Amino acid sequence: MDFKIQELLKEVRLQSSPALTKLVGDTVSAIKSALDKIPEDLQVTADWAPGFVRDIGADKAEFKFRKPRSIEIGGSYSLGCVAKPDANVDLLLRLPKECFNEKDYLNHRYHAKRCLYLCVIKKYLKSSSSIQKVEWSTLQNEARKPVLVVYPVPKLDEVPGLFIRIIPTATSLFDPSKLNVKRNSVRALNTGDVSLPTPIYNCSILEDMYLEENSNFVKKFFSGWKELGDALILLKVWARLRSSIYVHDCLNGFLISVIVSYLAAKNKINRDMMPMGIFRATLKFIETHPLWKHGLYIPTIDQNASLKGNEQLNSLTQFNLAFRISSVAYPELQDEVALTLRSLETCRDGGFEEIFATKIDNAAKYDYCFRLNLKGNRDFCSLGFCLDDECWRMYEQDVHSLLYQGLTDRAKFIRVIWRNTYSDFNVENGLSALDCEPLFVGVLVSSVEKAFRVVDIGPNAEKKDEALMFRKFWGEKAELRRFQDGKIAESTVWESEQGSRHLILKRIVEFLLGRHLSLLEKDIVSVVDQLDFSLLHDGKDLVSHSGRLLGTFEELSKRLRSIEDVPLRISTVQPLDSAFRYTSVFPPEPHPVANKKVDVARLHNLTPFCVQSLEVMIQLEGSGNWPMDDVLIEKTKSVFLLKIAESLQDNWGLTCTASEEDVDVFMDGYAFRLRILHERGLSLVNKEVGRDQTKRISAADKILFVRSQHASMINGLQFRYPIFGPVVRLAKRWLASHLFSACLAEEAVELLVAYLFLKPLPFDVPCSRITGFLRFLRLLAEHDWAFSPLIVDINGDLSQNDEKEIDDNFTQSRKAYKENTQIESNAMFLATAYDKSSEAWTRCSPNPLELKRLVAYARSSASLLTKLILQNQTDPLGWECLFRTPLSLYDAVILLHGDRLPYPKRLLFTSELNQGRHVAHGTASNCFHPFLLPADMKGSLEQLKTKLMVNFDPLRCFVGDVEKEFSNGLKLWYDSLGGDAVGLTWERSKKREREEEETDEKYPVDLLRNIGELGKGFVRDVYLLKAPRLSS
Amino acid sequence: MKKKSSKEKANDVGVSEDVQMVENLVPTKQEKKKDKLSKKKRKGKEKEKKARAGTIDKHVDENEVHVQDKFRKEGKKKSNGQLVGKSKAAQEDEVYEIPSGDNDCSKGMKKWLTDYHQCRPGLKVLQQQIDDFIISYEEKLEQERKEKEARLTEGGWVLVEHHRGRKKTTDSESGTTVGSVSQAAVEDKLAKKKSKEVSDFYRFQKREAQRNELLTLQSKFEQDKKRIQQMRAARKFRPY
Repeated sequence: MDFKIQELLKEVRLQSSPALTKLVGDTVSAIKSALDKIPEDLQVTADWAPGFVRDIGADKAEFKFRKPRSIEIGGSYSLGCVAKPDANVDLLLRLPKECFNEKDYLNHRYHAKRCLYLCVIKKYLKSSSSIQKVEWSTLQNEARKPVLVVYPVPKLDEVPGLFIRIIPTATSLFDPSKLNVKRNSVRALNTGDVSLPTPIYNCSILEDMYLEENSNFVKKFFSGWKELGDALILLKVWARLRSSIYVHDCLNGFLISVIVSYLAAKNKINRDMMPMGIFRATLKFIETHPLWKHGLYIPTIDQNASLKGNEQLNSLTQFNLAFRISSVAYPELQDEVALTLRSLETCRDGGFEEIFATKIDNAAKYDYCFRLNLKGNRDFCSLGFCLDDECWRMYEQDVHSLLYQGLTDRAKFIRVIWRNTYSDFNVENGLSALDCEPLFVGVLVSSVEKAFRVVDIGPNAEKKDEALMFRKFWGEKAELRRFQDGKIAESTVWESEQGSRHLILKRIVEFLLGRHLSLLEKDIVSVVDQLDFSLLHDGKDLVSHSGRLLGTFEELSKRLRSIEDVPLRISTVQPLDSAFRYTSVFPPEPHPVANKKVDVARLHNLTPFCVQSLEVMIQLEGSGNWPMDDVLIEKTKSVFLLKIAESLQDNWGLTCTASEEDVDVFMDGYAFRLRILHERGLSLVNKEVGRDQTKRISAADKILFVRSQHASMINGLQFRYPIFGPVVRLAKRWLASHLFSACLAEEAVELLVAYLFLKPLPFDVPCSRITGFLRFLRLLAEHDWAFSPLIVDINGDLSQNDEKEIDDNFTQSRKAYKENTQIESNAMFLATAYDKSSEAWTRCSPNPLELKRLVAYARSSASLLTKLILQNQTDPLGWECLFRTPLSLYDAVILLHGDRLPYPKRLLFTSELNQGRHVAHGTASNCFHPFLLPADMKGSLEQLKTKLMVNFDPLRCFVGDVEKEFSNGLKLWYDSLGGDAVGLTWERSKKREREEEETDEKYPVDLLRNIGELGKGFVRDVYLLKAPRLSS
Repeated sequence: MKKKSSKEKANDVGVSEDVQMVENLVPTKQEKKKDKLSKKKRKGKEKEKKARAGTIDKHVDENEVHVQDKFRKEGKKKSNGQLVGKSKAAQEDEVYEIPSGDNDCSKGMKKWLTDYHQCRPGLKVLQQQIDDFIISYEEKLEQERKEKEARLTEGGWVLVEHHRGRKKTTDSESGTTVGSVSQAAVEDKLAKKKSKEVSDFYRFQKREAQRNELLTLQSKFEQDKKRIQQMRAARKFRPY
């Protein structure tokens, strides 16, 4: 941890080099000389920036220009604590007293003059040769306080994008007591004759007045105290990674430095503390000291009593530095701090990754994100742009309180942020263009159960006033209902199916925004259900059948356990398939034919020909008569299964079909595939002590055992976190549609997603599918696979010793890899309680190369998804791109006949390719159709049943055949969930080097044609994009 | 590893990247063939032209592809004539037609279907098959054993077999376990017993333990350092 902190500081801190100092010095002097050119007594009127003056409603905005009193470098540059990548230098420019009147603090006159003053400077700066361009920006997103951003011409490689901000200060311009929080300074703000106090406006001026003093105060502490500076940088890095708290109404760099120096002044931080100690102390302070309630005041030397606490007393002369922190933002900040402190204590390696390396942007943090497009909407500024507060901030508050009232306890936090400044903002044109960025609303769900609640119970009907309020708030949505306990109360009902409960919150938000703020539906972008399309089969979510599936399974296991005409009784029946734990992308639909009674006439046109099977594990009671030989054990199992099948057929009339390996039982529309776990292996699996013991357990038994362990653990997890299932399904679908089906086992995906739920720090547990999916992608992309194992502690029962064991296993496997790079094993180390050396799922695949590809895909998908959530993009095409894989990234591509896939409806997009060389084209076979044809239905029921194909998958057959035939030299990438493209990459093998040059040209083409031949009747087209690289 | 960032293939960004990729690819091809005959070079250029046309115009439908293929084929025939005098070379650029193979059971869809059905002859038949297999397999095992024995006794040696002295632990009638403890359990017990030994009885033991601890700490320190270096290489310390 210490090492990492050192490295981080080294990387982030802007080192002062002579070149940099010179550049800054030169630019500052260029600015100074530009200022010198401005003629004294230049008459400045409102015409310099008519739009701005009009919009803030100021009068008497004219003055004679005078030179600034002083120009000083302030901010983090003067402290030597600039944290990259924001390399900026603050230049504090003291406004001359002569330009202002005593009463100018009233009615935005100060703001207008301040702006005009900058306008003049800007005009003269533009003509300077060493300045590339001058732009407008605002101080902390406060539109009435613009600042100038100056870009110098010379560039330094070490600090790209260095700029200088010119910030005017108003030291001792006005009498601070006139700007008490209780006083009114904007006369337009009144109710009737009583003028209301304008605390925020007053603070806005006070901020400028005390800016220099404060920055001197800060400087005093930072000079010659290296640890303090380091801690400040750490805090900045920490805050910047969390975009929900590093915004205009919460923290900013300057405020952090003030807090740190405040603590230093109060001796809460002393000189022997290490940077991390200071970091922690500061966070503790933020967590416990209610900044927002009490404010933050600089302690002065002579006033050592009652420095904070009594607001009235201090605010007479002092100014609350934390005035921007809003009542909404503060709890959020506290929560974020609490999470960070928890990470510090509980995470591996001191939580470095979680605290300083994980980006917590709004997209990944909030469960539900909404964007309100308010461009051109004039409702919010009907009262004028700025009164006490600015209209944008007021609107933020309005939206927040509305949603807060509407969502009640569904939401833990609601965050409304409206960033107003944009890059080519121009003050002269006024403030009306500041609404072009969308307003962001993030909702953090308190718990999934609450968020999915269908009925909200309001006040009792007898309480007339409250009931009336409720009705007024909800309008036609409010209903008077009688509840089971006899209570009659106002309520709102959001009826929805089981599978679409996650949409309730979206509906509420859209309803409220439409009703109270009269926003149109097209202006509300809610990021909730955009990815659901990928999980639908024929327009519906198949998970809704799961209840029936579980019922059928119960019945089957009862029947199995009651079988008596088989030599050994069946002791346990356990589900293995992912459909039983709600994590299958497409759980099977009940098939009309796979039933006891079939109404042939009612079979509809699109009855699928294939049935997915569901694996079920059974255990027989113990017996000493089992053979000792592996082959014989497997055969004996088959015999048992056949006997069981016969028994079921005879006693219950269930149809069974069997091959030598599998036995499938049709029941209620499902096909169950039975497997036997032989208990002899079981007692040994747990205690893998030596090599010889593991050998004795037959491989099949071991896999079965591990799978059953996994199934039961994940099933338990799934009940704890209802959103787990959908996230896993999205993740599986994403992997498959990028043709990674062969790389990552289904179970491994489940474990990866489980990790997100079990170790959510530095986030909260994800409560929506999109957020969960985004975090899955980030985990895949950002986890340090090469150097750390991923420990998934499903039941929370791994002890310290277990973890140590896992670590040892991990280092061992990495060492083995280093010694012999040929053994490409365990590139992804996933350890669980049942599998401490990551042997079960990721031993062979993905190999390092595959993992690299996987990580790259995850990274670009994650950034695309983030962009889709946060930025203004409404078209569904963008969302589809997440699941559309670029085929140009393979060496060759094989396209399949989509209508020969067993489930053509699961195909997301038909793949087309128009690059590369079209090598072969195949016609579709007539032997196989995914749907039953009328001709098939004519025969008897028994015949029809035998025609059904269990688990028949031409793609798997094809891949199997190709891999058998051309085992080395190429690698196939495919989508087992129903994609119609197979990617092919050449593997760099040394063998081909020897082949003669003449064959170079033809070789890949012929090979591809042969591959096409193997998939006769199934392969549509074969394209060659890139011949294998030959080292000549 | 190739470039993989162009996820938004449908977007314009993707298109331009694709073009770039092709452009990168083409020169290398040309370089490779530099020392070859000039005619080959011409072909390479044609390829380049085709590739560009194919990528820039994203909406070429299949027909057009065919047309382009034909065009290229003609061009190639001319150049190929002297180079490779094989009849197959002429065919090379044609889009090879794969028949649907509905009558061919050796490959493709038809094969998979027949395989599937052949695997399922019905329960009774299967039972018989497995029984046969088991019998023959057991016979084979028996024979192997006998042969081995015979081979050994042939040389005048008598095989003294060590029968593992494990008593029958299961009752053959009910199938329940009688007495006896499973081997794993015994080992587990043994392992437990061992751990009871006092490890810091003698002073030298203590000293050794201390030294060992120090050594592991040291090695861990070294490892950490190495890892940091690797992480720095991977730019892990840039939180932006």
